[in-house]
Amino acid sequence: MKAVMIIYNQAHSTVVMNILDELSVRGFTKWTDVQGRGSKKGEPHYGSHAWPSKNMATLAVVEDGEAGALIDKLRIANAQAEEQGLRAFVWDADSVV
Amino acid sequence: MKIYETAVRKPVTTALIFIGIVVFGLFSFTRLSVDLYPEIELNAVTIMTTYSGASATDIEQNVTKRLEMSLSTVSDLKRISSTSKDNISLITIEFEYGTDMDEAVNDIRTVLDMQRNFLPEDTENPVVLKFNSSMMPVAFMSARTSQNEQGLYKILEEKVANPINRINGVASVSISGAPQREIQVRVDPKKMEAYKLSIEQISGLLAMENRNMPAGNIDIGSETFSVRVDGEFKSSDQIGDIIVGSFMGRNIYIKDVATVKDTLKERATEVLTNGERSAMIVIQKQSGSNVVEIVDRINKELPAIKAALPADVQLEMVLDTSDFIKSSINSLTETVLLAGLFVMIVVLFFLGRWRATFIIILTIPVSLIAAFIYLMITGNTLNIISLSSLSIAIGMVVDDAIVVLENITSHIEKGSKPRDAAIYATNEVAVAVVASTLTIVAVFFPLTMVTGLAGIMFKQLGWIVTIIITVSTVAALTLTPMLSSRMLKKDPKRSKAFMFFYSPIERGLDSLDEWYAGLLRWAVSNRKFVLIASFALFLSSIMLLTKVGTDFFPTSDNAQISIKVELPVGTRVEQARVLNEYLYSQWKEKYPEIEVLQTSMGQSDGSNIFMSLNSSGSHLITYTARLSKAGERKRDIFEISDLIREELKVIPELYRFEVIPGGSNPGMGTGGSGLELDVLGYNMDDAAVVAEQVAEIMRKTPGLRDVKLSREDYMPQLRVEFDRAKLAMNGINLTSAANVVRNRINGIITTRFREDGEEYDIVVRNDISHRTSIEDINEILLYNNTGKSVRLSEVGTVNEDFAPPSIEHLDRERVIKVTGSIYKRALGDIAKEVTAEVDKMTLPANIAVELSGSYEEQQDSFADMLTLLLLVVMLTYIVMAAQFESFRDPFIIMFSLPFAFTGVFVALWLTGTSLSLIALIGAVMLVGIVVKNGIVLIDYINLNKERGMSVMRSVVSGGRSRLRPVLMTTITTILGMLPMAIGIGEGSEIWQPMGISIIGGLTLSTILTLVVIPTVYTSFHAGDIKRKRRAHAKLNS
Repeated sequence: MKAVMIIYNQAHSTVVMNILDELSVRGFTKWTDVQGRGSKKGEPHYGSHAWPSKNMATLAVVEDGEAGALIDKLRIANAQAEEQGLRAFVWDADSVV
Repeated sequence: MKIYETAVRKPVTTALIFIGIVVFGLFSFTRLSVDLYPEIELNAVTIMTTYSGASATDIEQNVTKRLEMSLSTVSDLKRISSTSKDNISLITIEFEYGTDMDEAVNDIRTVLDMQRNFLPEDTENPVVLKFNSSMMPVAFMSARTSQNEQGLYKILEEKVANPINRINGVASVSISGAPQREIQVRVDPKKMEAYKLSIEQISGLLAMENRNMPAGNIDIGSETFSVRVDGEFKSSDQIGDIIVGSFMGRNIYIKDVATVKDTLKERATEVLTNGERSAMIVIQKQSGSNVVEIVDRINKELPAIKAALPADVQLEMVLDTSDFIKSSINSLTETVLLAGLFVMIVVLFFLGRWRATFIIILTIPVSLIAAFIYLMITGNTLNIISLSSLSIAIGMVVDDAIVVLENITSHIEKGSKPRDAAIYATNEVAVAVVASTLTIVAVFFPLTMVTGLAGIMFKQLGWIVTIIITVSTVAALTLTPMLSSRMLKKDPKRSKAFMFFYSPIERGLDSLDEWYAGLLRWAVSNRKFVLIASFALFLSSIMLLTKVGTDFFPTSDNAQISIKVELPVGTRVEQARVLNEYLYSQWKEKYPEIEVLQTSMGQSDGSNIFMSLNSSGSHLITYTARLSKAGERKRDIFEISDLIREELKVIPELYRFEVIPGGSNPGMGTGGSGLELDVLGYNMDDAAVVAEQVAEIMRKTPGLRDVKLSREDYMPQLRVEFDRAKLAMNGINLTSAANVVRNRINGIITTRFREDGEEYDIVVRNDISHRTSIEDINEILLYNNTGKSVRLSEVGTVNEDFAPPSIEHLDRERVIKVTGSIYKRALGDIAKEVTAEVDKMTLPANIAVELSGSYEEQQDSFADMLTLLLLVVMLTYIVMAAQFESFRDPFIIMFSLPFAFTGVFVALWLTGTSLSLIALIGAVMLVGIVVKNGIVLIDYINLNKERGMSVMRSVVSGGRSRLRPVLMTTITTILGMLPMAIGIGEGSEIWQPMGISIIGGLTLSTILTLVVIPTVYTSFHAGDIKRKRRAHAKLNS
């Protein structure tokens, strides 16, 4: 099992949801109104006056085989609107209750 | 869930809500009636008290003074003035505008009831007359006839007045100038003397003879009959055959001692239309009904009415007050539409996208139409104020939508899905949009609280703009994102043809951005120069203020002139007739602009209140001229009036005259305004001297016309003075002696002749040939109870004398008003000049000279406006301080205000407009409109700074990226006002100063704001980084 953490500009909300649906990823957890900034050139997303945009985060735990397809789709989505910002991180999920 | 999120997620609901608003608004629009101004309840009440036989001084002391004293306790009273004339006391009480007049009248009645017992015995009950605007006639018609002179009154009454009276909303129709029928018994006093008869006997006999009497019922068999004695005259011929007595055994008939004439009244108003004798029909409306609707209904009926008249009677509409209203409203509607078109072009110019333009433009109808709902709910009309409010708002309603749409577009360009972009981009700017709306509301909402005359006008303006702006913000936050999410696309393709036109514009705008950034860089590094130069500019504009005149209300051309010509008191009507013929022939030739000239002269017959309130007399001629429409002639009413004045000036017979452009109707903003100086003081002779001096000063002052004193000349009169001792010796008391004189000259009416349901007076008096000299009065025979006769000359004398003038009071003090009307000069200047001269005069003790009239009102409302301005500035400061959470930034933004006023002065000076109440209101509005630019600018500069840029870089890049939105919102507002400032159509003069001042102020302040505000900002914030470092250093140590 892989845990995929997707952190993205809130404007990508529907894009991410569509990708999850397309790949029949049923389970996920979503946080709205999260803040952050990119390590290299990503703009800050603080929901403040200076940086009004905000992020959302989705954590989905998927079967090992599905993670690759998910990352690919997300990469395409990010490429379409690079300025908005979308990042995904994958790590192993050891055990599930 | 936020409102814009809901709107985007539920497009159907959102669309339908706005469609609902539009449909309801349009429905309201169809229900709105049209009028010139919002309904104004006139704030004056007149109390009329008659005390027969008392002279002006008696009336003043015994009636007026007493009533004034107690009436001055009535609450909300503004001013109390009075005129005491022979036999009558007229007290006018003015209340503050907005006072509940019903309550005020009740208060007055209570006071009068209390005073009733303290008034002299013979005074009649005081009558309270409440005025309102509906008493003003809505239409005048004239009827001419070549053959039916005698029967004209009756024909008009039956065929014209009655049908019009039946029209819904018409309160009364009165006819004047048509001679009324009267049956005259003209007695020959010589014959009467021979038969030992008196006029009282004849009139008493006539009353006894002319009677129908029921005599009870009688039962005959099984039936009941009523018994009647019908003695009423069947025809006027019967009167002559009545026997008044017998002399030496022979019957004496009335025809033996008098001639009986079935004829027309002797003294009546003569009305001429375009030089021809005619009758005037005055139509008044019911209060609360609509002028335009009523006149429309009358006009619809008119062909039928005309058809029913005899062929020789010509009926025509002389004055139709709805004409001016209709054309004013139409021209304003054009103004609003034109403004809409301009705004549309500007938006397309800057955005270069059809769909985006459509989305923004859609907020205009939605928010404007919402105003109609307000108008209908509050029972208001579509008038100059409400339409001008639309015109003012039209440029501002798109601002919010522009900001929202711009942000959505930039998000879409960054790659967001339109739906998400719509929600999140709106979220980002929502606070700023609401804040800038609040600044506008902070300006317009206080307008709803202005009191006085200005309050009536600006209440609607305040509400309408507040409502429109609020609705437009709601639309910008819901409708705009919803439509954007549906209609906008990433990188929409533009057609080649469109690009052909638009690409040069785009290139031009880009290079403008660059140029502005360069300018900012220079300004920021030459701060001292920029600040000093702009300060100097502001100071020099204050100098301009002395060159701009001040006025109360702009004047407008309503195509009416009224002229009052006075011959010396006591001139016979025949003289007036000759003069009138001369004047008419002169004017007809010289002023082809005059379409209808109505003349009325002679004693008023008092058949309607409107006529009887105007002074009348055989020496007076009043003219009402209706000119062709303002747009169709070169000379305006003011110029023509002045020419007429010049002409009247050279006629030596005239005692005085008055030419009132705009007519005598006290409508606001129509016609000219006047200057009034009050000479207060108890001593009438001293006051008269001072008043004459003041009048002389005013006559010498350029720009003043028709200077006159309110105190009338002494009236010539014949005074009959009886010797009481001699009267008593003859067994006659004074009252009966006086009555005898009255009955011989004025006549006595004891009965009426009835025919076809109409009643006509039967007047008995001396034949006209026996009422022409003092001798005739001396010869009057007085009879005592025993039938012994004595001549008037034996018991009294007839003296030639002058009756004292009427005595006027203002706030319970005796006053002589010196008034003048103004021609082509600002009221403020004239007032200043006249006061300066008057101050030089040495006044007798207890005499004071005070300015009043329009100038007083102007001063009052200017003071109100200044308070309002301060209030508005404070409110906008509060709104901005709350938005920026800072005291400093709103202060910086306020730096654009002085330049707004500079712009106002410059624009007024360049166009030669004077600073009126309307222009001032424009200046007040500017506060809200101007700071909006500052907010947009400072907000973005702050944002740049927060993102870590240096102050200089924040200013330059912030300014550059906000240039287009600032220019766009400013240009939409300016162009929205442009049609108003140019002044198309009738009545536009009223609002022109507002358009001019807003355009001037906004243009100059925007140009300067774009340079000065960033400069001031840099100066204020230059130390920020140093301060931060110092604070840091402190923390570390």
